[in-house]
Amino acid sequence: MTIQPAGGGGGGGGGGGMARPNSSGLADVIDTILDKGLVIDAFVRVSLVGIELLTIDARVVVASVDTYLRFAEAVNRLEISDNEPKGLPDLVGDITSGGARHKTKGAIEAAGEKVSEFLGEVQQQREAAPRSRRRED
Amino acid sequence: MSTDRTEQNGNGTGSDAGTGSDAAVYVYGIVPSDVEPEDHARGVGEPPAEISVVRSGRVAALVSEIPLDRPLGTPDDLTAHAELLDGTVTVAPVLPLRFGAVLTDRDAVASELLEGHEEELVSALEQLDGLAQFVVKGRYVERTILQEILDENTDAAQLREQIRGQSEDATREARMALGEIINATIESKRAEDTRRTVEALESFDPMVNERPPTHEQDAVHIAVLMKLDEQDRLEDALRELAQEWENRVDLNLLGPMAAYDFITKSDPGEGG
Repeated sequence: MTIQPAGGGGGGGGGGGMARPNSSGLADVIDTILDKGLVIDAFVRVSLVGIELLTIDARVVVASVDTYLRFAEAVNRLEISDNEPKGLPDLVGDITSGGARHKTKGAIEAAGEKVSEFLGEVQQQREAAPRSRRRED
Repeated sequence: MSTDRTEQNGNGTGSDAGTGSDAAVYVYGIVPSDVEPEDHARGVGEPPAEISVVRSGRVAALVSEIPLDRPLGTPDDLTAHAELLDGTVTVAPVLPLRFGAVLTDRDAVASELLEGHEEELVSALEQLDGLAQFVVKGRYVERTILQEILDENTDAAQLREQIRGQSEDATREARMALGEIINATIESKRAEDTRRTVEALESFDPMVNERPPTHEQDAVHIAVLMKLDEQDRLEDALRELAQEWENRVDLNLLGPMAAYDFITKSDPGEGG
């Protein structure tokens, strides 16, 4: 056995098709424990028990038509909002996101996540499936 | 933290988990034999099973009993596996097994997994002593990165003019071209920003595993293996980088965790 980088070329992390939406942190757990770590088959054969694992689709980030169109639409929206006069909507937006941010942070800390965060912002680690378009705007 | 390190040694294989044919033993990871699970440590299963150890010589396996009639892999199962190992790494070296390792019974854990491989396992545990894995993840802030690309790339800026206010159907080709430029540009920015991150961590002399991106707007996704007691300094270094990238990249640090990314066994069956 050697202690060395396992190499990132394993075809992407797991994730995606879980029975319920990923909460913050779970996606990272999936990325880590499903396709990394020591494989017991390398040591043991006779007593290995095959137990059913819930299907978890491997999630590989592959650029697709959807991705391209989504980026283009994001650019389109970028322009629209740039042309909007700054004013009350921006202010309201800031307050709202500030409040939400606090809540998010509290929830995550309460859940005992070992996530160190920077800049006072907790990134909602919502790992979208490739086709999901859900984003924060 | 879910396990304690005690001075006690080699207890044999214990007797608290007699297994029938409808049950088996789930294995989380391998630790030095002086590691003792805390009373409240819980593992996979519903309800979560109690953690125990199977010892053999200088090594031990963290295990729990599981019924065979229930599929594994609920969010709680996954979290329990990770939390046990990540809690352990703060008190003792641990070789994390990939999720889903199940053997017939405790005797099999001792005789097949531990006994024949003791030297190899001990050697790996010694190499990991005092080390822990951390994962650094960065995600581009979409507005900022798109604006950056439009500012730098005249083709992208022109295409943006073409689609301005037009329907998706009427400008599909221009949109495809624009999206492709953006995607390719983000890929090269990701490579550069990953390099920058690794450079910022040089002083820790870490082992680095570049992970594949998990999202098209990932800026960096790496695992590093370094000294556990340098965590504070790691946070400082990343905070500095995060300030430099403020509003451009949201940077997150995960860990300390077990060294999932750095443990490889090249040849199945090749004993220690």
